[in-house]
Amino acid sequence: MLNFDWLKGVSQDTAKIIFLLLFIVIGIVVLFIPNNYIFQGIKKEDRHWWNNLKWWAITVLTILFYIYYIF
Amino acid sequence: MLAGIDYFIVISYLIGIVILGYYFKKFVGSSSDYFLAGRTLPFWAIGMSIVVSDIGAFDFVGVSGQAYRYGISVGNFDWIGSVPAMLLAAFIFVPYFWRGGMYTIPEYLGRRYNSYVRTLASLTWIIFFAVDLGVLFWASAVLLNVIMGWPVWVSILVTAIVIGLYTYFGGITAVIMTDVIQLIIMFIGGFTLVFLGFHAVGGWGGLVEKIHAMGPEYQQHFHLIQPADTKTPFPWTGILFGLTFVMANAYMIGNQSIVQRCLTAKNEWHAKASMIFGSGLKMLIPVLVLFPGMMAIILIPDLKDGDQSMPMMIKHILPPGLMGLMFSAFLAGMMSSVDSLLNSTATLFTKDIYEPYINKNASDKHYLRIGKLTTLILLILGVITSPISSKYPGIYVAIQTFMSYFQGPLFSILLLGIFWKKTTQWGGFSGLVIGILIAFTLNIFKSRIFTIEDPFLYVSWWSFVAGLIVTIFVSLFTTPHPQEKLKGLVYNLTLRNNLNK
Repeated sequence: MLNFDWLKGVSQDTAKIIFLLLFIVIGIVVLFIPNNYIFQGIKKEDRHWWNNLKWWAITVLTILFYIYYIF
Repeated sequence: MLAGIDYFIVISYLIGIVILGYYFKKFVGSSSDYFLAGRTLPFWAIGMSIVVSDIGAFDFVGVSGQAYRYGISVGNFDWIGSVPAMLLAAFIFVPYFWRGGMYTIPEYLGRRYNSYVRTLASLTWIIFFAVDLGVLFWASAVLLNVIMGWPVWVSILVTAIVIGLYTYFGGITAVIMTDVIQLIIMFIGGFTLVFLGFHAVGGWGGLVEKIHAMGPEYQQHFHLIQPADTKTPFPWTGILFGLTFVMANAYMIGNQSIVQRCLTAKNEWHAKASMIFGSGLKMLIPVLVLFPGMMAIILIPDLKDGDQSMPMMIKHILPPGLMGLMFSAFLAGMMSSVDSLLNSTATLFTKDIYEPYINKNASDKHYLRIGKLTTLILLILGVITSPISSKYPGIYVAIQTFMSYFQGPLFSILLLGIFWKKTTQWGGFSGLVIGILIAFTLNIFKSRIFTIEDPFLYVSWWSFVAGLIVTIFVSLFTTPHPQEKLKGLVYNLTLRNNLNK
């Protein structure tokens, strides 16, 4: 059990799908974070799409997704 | 060996770093300035500092060596092994620590659990950092000696003086701002090597085609996901459970030298943004450290030791001038790691040991002096103890292994501490202690228990699980802190309210 023998039947392709799904789940969770929380520390009038950290996170996750999709 | 132009580049770089670091002396007037930069720094500087502190000269060699042996799968450590954890840190943990005005992670543990947990966690970090300092000095200096022919003691003394000057006077502001330059130097040097390497192997297509043509044992070299029953240290199960779920989070959330940087941010947005920006930069690191190792498979086949791939690539590929740049990149990696250890250890000692146990009600100036003095003593100790590594060659690996076993249980109590308000002080203490003991036991019997080559990912995962179970079990039979005491420390009692605003 400690060696994860019970997962040895899972193919590399299936494992890859698990990793990709993980990135999608994280992305969805990030999208659900309220904007008020994301922008804490920034004045209301200074809040723009480009300093919305959700989009920063989604961008990073998209690149990561692409790397794991290719390799 | 270095040419005249290389020496010019290296010496200019060292002088520039000292001048820049010393410049930040004028911003240090209190202990908050020294340890937290007066909470004034922007996200981009912190993000760059996080990334460069995480990669030392030793990583350049070690990771390219593993890429030579196992292929691209070693890139998991900087991709899935960093990015999700940095996002979790950015959105959940860092805002807690920043809002609480904390200096150290053990400080959070002390408030959430009790002073025993705080002291145990802090002492473990201090011992690890202090021993690691000497080891890092020696390992990096030996590396520089092999690659560039510089005498070991020259490397140690020169870097110690340079680091000592700016870290002692400028505190964490100097550490972070010099890290920005170190990262730029490292990227220029590293990417130049990668660019020239690609040119030599015939581009990306040439690299893939030639490695695949080398035989069946190289067919997995371009697969990030390795089978669960692989004999390499990176089965996908270990990468997912041990690395992604435990080690990465423990490192990005529980490591003082990483988190302390975020606490220097000028506001909460900058604290969060620093981690996310850093995660973007972190994704570039495998390109610098991994691809030279893979190119060496083609350009310098039949190396007896994969760890020779980076030094040999530098000798084969780089012309004079660029050699000096690469040497500066190695120095940058070494110095950014050492300055982080110095400042973080000084912070841990001053805030978690000296202030609560040795001199409780001293003035802020006194704590500033203690922080500076600790930095100086640690630096001298690091230099004096560095030759110990030559007598015990396995000490570097032993220290890193020890730390990886501490991180699983530490992350388990951090996670439960924030997300489960019924976690009790004795639950957390037991989880940490028993989790560490289980990690050591698994390590001692690893050859009997595990089937893969180096099972540190599995040990991290199972010691994390043990920490969780023990903490929950003991918490069910002991009394939690009253809710009033937990405000600002537990998700249910603060963050969720903020999320719903």
